[in-house]
Amino acid sequence: MATTAAVPTYSGTSEHAETGLWSWLTTVDHKRIAALYLGTSLFWFLIGGIEATIIRAQLAFPNGKVVSAQVFNELFTMHGTTMIFLVVMPLSAAFFNLLIPLQIGARDVAFPRLNAFSYWVYLFGSIFLNVSWFIGSAPDGGWFGYTPLTTLAYSKNLNIDFWVLGLQILGVSSLAAGFNFITTIVNMRAPGMYFMRMPIFTWMAFIVQFLIVLAFPVITIALIFLQFDRFFGTNFYEIAQGGDPLLWQHLFWIFGHPEVYILILPAFGLVSEVLPTFSRKPLFGYPVMVYSGMLIAFLGFGVWAHHMFAVGMGPIADTVFGVTTMLIAIPTGVKIFNWIFTMWGGVLRFTTAMKFAITLVALFTVGGISGVMHASPPADLQQTDTYFIVAHFHYVLVAGSMMGLFAGVYYYFPKFTGRLLDETLGNWHFWLFFIGVNLTFFPMHFSGLYGMPRRIYRYDAGQGWELFNLLSSIGVAFQAVGTIIGFWNFWRSSKVGAIAGADPWGAPTLEWSIPSPPPDYNFATIPTVTSRYPLWDVKSPALTADVPPGVVDRGRGRTPPTIRIPTARELGIPMPNPSIKPLFAALFMTLMFASLIAIHKDKVQLAVALVIVFAGALTASLYAWLLTPLEDEH
Amino acid sequence: MHHRFRPRRLARAALTVALAASSLVVAACGQYPNSIFHSRTDTNRDVGFLFEILIWFGSIVFVVVEAILIYTLVRFRRRGVARTPEHVHGNTTLEITWTIIPALILVFIAIPTVRTIFRTQAKPRSDALQVEVIGHQWWWEFRYPQFTMRSPTGKLDTVVTANELYLPQGRTVSFTLKSQDVIHSLSMPALSGKRDLITTHVNYLWFTPDSAQETAYNGFCAEYCGASHANMRFRTFVVSPSDFQSWIAHQESPAAFTVPAPGQTAANNTAAAQAPGGAQPQVPAGAQVQPNRNLNNGPLSGRATGTNGPTVPSAGAPGVGVPANAAPGTQTAVAQAGFIGFPRERMPAYTLPTTPVPADIQYSDPFGDPSRGAQLLMQGKGACLGCHTIRGNPSMIGQIGPNLTHIGSRTTLAAGLFPNDARHLALWIKNARKMKPGVLMPTIGVNEYDPQLGTTMKVGLTDQQIADIVAYLQALK
Repeated sequence: MATTAAVPTYSGTSEHAETGLWSWLTTVDHKRIAALYLGTSLFWFLIGGIEATIIRAQLAFPNGKVVSAQVFNELFTMHGTTMIFLVVMPLSAAFFNLLIPLQIGARDVAFPRLNAFSYWVYLFGSIFLNVSWFIGSAPDGGWFGYTPLTTLAYSKNLNIDFWVLGLQILGVSSLAAGFNFITTIVNMRAPGMYFMRMPIFTWMAFIVQFLIVLAFPVITIALIFLQFDRFFGTNFYEIAQGGDPLLWQHLFWIFGHPEVYILILPAFGLVSEVLPTFSRKPLFGYPVMVYSGMLIAFLGFGVWAHHMFAVGMGPIADTVFGVTTMLIAIPTGVKIFNWIFTMWGGVLRFTTAMKFAITLVALFTVGGISGVMHASPPADLQQTDTYFIVAHFHYVLVAGSMMGLFAGVYYYFPKFTGRLLDETLGNWHFWLFFIGVNLTFFPMHFSGLYGMPRRIYRYDAGQGWELFNLLSSIGVAFQAVGTIIGFWNFWRSSKVGAIAGADPWGAPTLEWSIPSPPPDYNFATIPTVTSRYPLWDVKSPALTADVPPGVVDRGRGRTPPTIRIPTARELGIPMPNPSIKPLFAALFMTLMFASLIAIHKDKVQLAVALVIVFAGALTASLYAWLLTPLEDEH
Repeated sequence: MHHRFRPRRLARAALTVALAASSLVVAACGQYPNSIFHSRTDTNRDVGFLFEILIWFGSIVFVVVEAILIYTLVRFRRRGVARTPEHVHGNTTLEITWTIIPALILVFIAIPTVRTIFRTQAKPRSDALQVEVIGHQWWWEFRYPQFTMRSPTGKLDTVVTANELYLPQGRTVSFTLKSQDVIHSLSMPALSGKRDLITTHVNYLWFTPDSAQETAYNGFCAEYCGASHANMRFRTFVVSPSDFQSWIAHQESPAAFTVPAPGQTAANNTAAAQAPGGAQPQVPAGAQVQPNRNLNNGPLSGRATGTNGPTVPSAGAPGVGVPANAAPGTQTAVAQAGFIGFPRERMPAYTLPTTPVPADIQYSDPFGDPSRGAQLLMQGKGACLGCHTIRGNPSMIGQIGPNLTHIGSRTTLAAGLFPNDARHLALWIKNARKMKPGVLMPTIGVNEYDPQLGTTMKVGLTDQQIADIVAYLQALK
């Protein structure tokens, strides 16, 4: 039975939960780090969205003149890079941070300070990447950075330097977090939380961490080659010196395709939490959902070359990669049907979270079908590098990942803040975003099949593309308004939203058994788990009968009740101490990478000096960090 | 929202939409000149068949999934007092069913896929027309290695053109794809799928255009290749075999411009005397230009080297035997040569460029004299000879930019960006970098601002000199 000592009350105080800037800079609490990830990634979502809006303004009409060719190329490069590395991945990481310990019944992640380090590296890396805008050298090689275009011979300015170094920095963040979460899930599950009882979100998170840990070293190697070519004159990709540009493509996509599943599986996990709760039914086919997630991840490593059919690999390779790609459709299709049958026979409550989750099921299907269409290599040769592909992956990543992540935000916002998001604003957010996504991306199927290439900043009139491009651009306006309403909702509801209580939805998993927001120690007593849906075991069926029809407004705008629950010290729970050292280590590491830029300003000695200084500072920070015990002596 | 609808009616409506959408795709090719559904080559017919399978299965899956989903949402929405749903954890039969059905669909897709892979990537017919495509930032070089001829210096030359690809109807064309710099991708959606052009790697692609229609198609670069990726386009002309022969014969000949006798030039200029800047000095023709004309006549003997080459129509040797008293320029010779380029008046509307010209290039549009233009190039003015070849003009032997031997017969400039007329050509020469971002072609007009160097050019050509060069280039039919 899932039981906790301190259940239904609000936690106002605890030992380390001071407020103020310093408490945020030094925090090692996974819930606060989750909130930092959430806020930062939503900020970059706005930036990436502004980039997309300018792109669509430029393309609304033939021969658009909103931006220059160079700025357009920077915009689409940074839009892709931002949305993938600065939005979807860290937004997923916000949920990993919040939910993994709560769902497995742990008090924190395995390495709390490493967790803080991951966040600070992400923050500084994202800032470094975007500083390039202010010095007029934003990356312009596409998010895929194909060589030889990105080698020094064809990109002499700093643009690509920022991209290469920025991705290297961000990779450190992802890898550190990946190892941290794997260790947490393997070692820190509560008694009785067997693997096959873990909530499906944690399962998907677990699979994603393996994808990160296995895929990121590949792009790290690819980037090191490029970094060495650009800064130190090696010849991995330099064609004039006999380098091989296809080496980059293979390495990049060996990372790049698993990356697609890194982006989508967390959303799958969130939807698999939301659908059962609002259907009042357990997930249909739990084991199959777990195994299909593993299978998708496994197959995801064997299909990279389907991004490269136009490269000319010959009929045998085309056949192999085409067929393996088609195979992925099977476990993915199974997931879609399992979600639908989770709802079948349930009692469906269409909260905003539920609407976003259903939309993932409905629209990811569209992206899946177009995905099968380009698994067929001869057909793909007509689709690749056209807007059909743009339509496909936006259906997967916006109508899929972002819808799932928004479902997660609406569902878990009360657990983050103790307050519910406003459902009326949420409704506007959802419908405008839903209409906008379809209006933007569905016409792109047509502009693609009618031959419009990707990554062009202008096109001739009379090509049959005008209508579709105009529709896509109008769609972005809907998305933008919807997003603004959503963000207003996030901001306002965090101040005056209805008080949520521990379990506003009648949900089945452990995180809903503790107060919202949880005390820093999460569980006063580590629960013993006996099933996949511990809370329903406790509350069902009595609780199910009086589930509120929607969201019940329990004290909108009111200040939360000040019922004091015991602090960690009073309960004798050892908690990790706050530490500023992870922040310093992240800062010095970022500066160490950034110093290399000086080489391309012809200041080699300065670069060497700076690298040595910051490497020394990084080492000192790490020493200081490692020599400080995590917890006080007890 | 969905309450009012019956699921069956909804499903029917969804099916209607899907069918309408797919028929829209197939039927609407007329308005969509670059549609991949044009089946005017064997490759595109094969791919079109695959697409039909994919779109049908895709539509069926879409309709079935969405119908079940919507039915579920409507049927099981919360009504009144909540009941306690039965806690079903799974159903093995169902789960096996929806694993096997998609797997079967994939088998039906995979079999024609694999067949099409091997058919489209088989070796092309041995009698195929060979075309070598070389990608450059940001233009296309098309070489026809089966058609060669001796240059005046005795070197073996190949028929080569830029940004315009001529193909005969009904004959398989086999492309050899290379790149001079970064990766590009050859895309002509109405004719065939894409293939990349990679620096370190030779690629191949073939297809056979139908005999049905002589027309022009748009082509694009489909792999992001830098600043002017969007401005790397080309035209493909599928013409009758006899027109193709005639075109090749013309391309084999050296630059067609013959200098008109001084008398004609003067007469020619009278019309322009009123035009701004029209009071031009007499052409210093005579001795200086004479060699040029001789060169034009020179390579006749080398013609026989075109091994696979067509028999040249008797009148198909432009530049040869142009009577000295012929009309200005080489118009007569061109007329006699038959088909030397796709007729402008037959160009479909979608192949006419609409790119706007930057407003800040001022050009006074003086009257140009082709002979003076020829001399300016010979003297190395504007440094054109550093990059461009004009076969027949001995000083123009640059290898970096497009070959200009027959530029006058091309329909577009700057890789399909602008129509090839005097004004656009002049603006292009004057300040190419404003017209096509990032382009290698330097800013040649004096006092022009170079957006890449960030400076104003202190040296360069005057409008009059540019007009002369334009007149010369336009005469190079």
